[in-house]
Amino acid sequence: MTLSVAGGEMWVVTGPPSSGKTLLLQILRGERRPDSGDVHVSGKSLYRDDPAHNRKFRASSGVVPECLSPEEGRTVADLFRLSSLVAGGVSPSERKGRTEELLAMVGLPETEETKVARLSVSERARMALAVELFRSPDYLFLDMLLENSGQGWADRLGAILRALAKGGRTILLAERRLPEKWQAGRIPPPASAEPFRLYRLTGPSPERKGGTESPPPGEDAPLPMTAREGE
Amino acid sequence: MSGSGPSLLWIDWRPYRGPTGRETAVRFLVLFLVASYFLGMFSSGGVDRFLAEEFTMTAILRGGVPDEEGAGIAGKVGALPHVREAVYRNPDEAWEEFLESYPGLESLRGGGRNPLPGYVDVRLRPGGLSEEGIEKVRSSLEPLPQVEKILSGGTLMPRLLRMKRWANALLWAGFALACGVFLAVLGMQERARAQRLLPDVSFLVERGVSGGRIVVRRAAGAAVVGAALALLAVSASVGALHFVTDAFPFLRAAVGPVRELFDSRIASPVWPFLLSAAALQGIASLLAGSAAFPKGK
Repeated sequence: MTLSVAGGEMWVVTGPPSSGKTLLLQILRGERRPDSGDVHVSGKSLYRDDPAHNRKFRASSGVVPECLSPEEGRTVADLFRLSSLVAGGVSPSERKGRTEELLAMVGLPETEETKVARLSVSERARMALAVELFRSPDYLFLDMLLENSGQGWADRLGAILRALAKGGRTILLAERRLPEKWQAGRIPPPASAEPFRLYRLTGPSPERKGGTESPPPGEDAPLPMTAREGE
Repeated sequence: MSGSGPSLLWIDWRPYRGPTGRETAVRFLVLFLVASYFLGMFSSGGVDRFLAEEFTMTAILRGGVPDEEGAGIAGKVGALPHVREAVYRNPDEAWEEFLESYPGLESLRGGGRNPLPGYVDVRLRPGGLSEEGIEKVRSSLEPLPQVEKILSGGTLMPRLLRMKRWANALLWAGFALACGVFLAVLGMQERARAQRLLPDVSFLVERGVSGGRIVVRRAAGAAVVGAALALLAVSASVGALHFVTDAFPFLRAAVGPVRELFDSRIASPVWPFLLSAAALQGIASLLAGSAAFPKGK
């Protein structure tokens, strides 16, 4: 499989359980070295070049895993504190303000002091998204976010993600299936065949169907990434 | 984004303020005991101070030595580096001391003549109570024509000094054991802390924070806290020793007055003690740091 993702695009990979969706996201994010092939970001390999490039890319990307641990003993505020440790240079007042804003956006107002273990699966998924958005990542890797958040939140989260993509962020979602309302829209045909399907939902311009060219670099444009098979 | 924000230096403290606080309290207690033992040993010299207080060398002067000469001999001996004090007692004072020890023997002073000569009592410094110290005092007194005899423990002295060395070695071994306990407590605590931090470290590493940076910053934070703890422990030890030596006079005889703790001879080893305590805590954090990482990372 050869995949090229440009800045500001939103991709969804769908497929049945154990089809490799999570593995694909992990490989693209630089977490798991593929048996063959490579992932390039801004012309440099995540796996074969300087490890600092891999770390830098992972620092600029947010991840919401499929299985969210109950984080025994931690509160929601603790996870935001960890996120600010990664971001660096965030004052306590700024952290407090952004935390309140993000939690309100995902429907969890005033839950900073709530223990994570007491949140439901849906609440935990939304909280995890808010924690990642705290650092304003250029890339988002979201595994079963909509599935875990529940049907009631699929539309709202979809709108948030589309807005983020329009803002230039690159989003990769792994879901069991494409949400119904998204299927009703004008979605290009899937980019790959079995075992899973890749859908590109938004792009920087309608002409860029294959997504092989990266957007013109701007000051805040995320680094373009490509994945190639067999290299 | 701007501002300082949380730091990797103090990552152990949130959200585990409770367990980390309790561990730190235990660590302070152990450090306090080690510091008290350390200061007590340096101040007392082990059993040296106690023995030096009990042991006296006596130079018995010939009859007819004038008081000025006796006092002069005491002054000369008192100036020796191993000597804490040298006191001259004239024949009348010697007679009064004899009667105090042995009442009812006034008849020994027949015809008004005092049978006892004057003498010089010499007390050695704790560090001077050794073969060398005793020999130096003896060799300064023996050539003097006014000195008739020198009493310095006789044949028992070598055995006493050997027992003193063994007793001191045992006491220092006790200090080494206390340090070993501190190191064991340190090791256990750091391993527990690192394991508690596993989820936090996983979170950070997954998001591109260098593992090396996490370990080094944690260790630096541990060293800073360690230095503060050691300083507090030493201060508390000085206070405790002051209280204890005031309340129990026999301890004061063994350890000495607390004001001597500020003497450079005793104060100067305190700095290496503080630095070692801080460094050990940083090193323990560094060594246990790998337990905070998921396997394979």
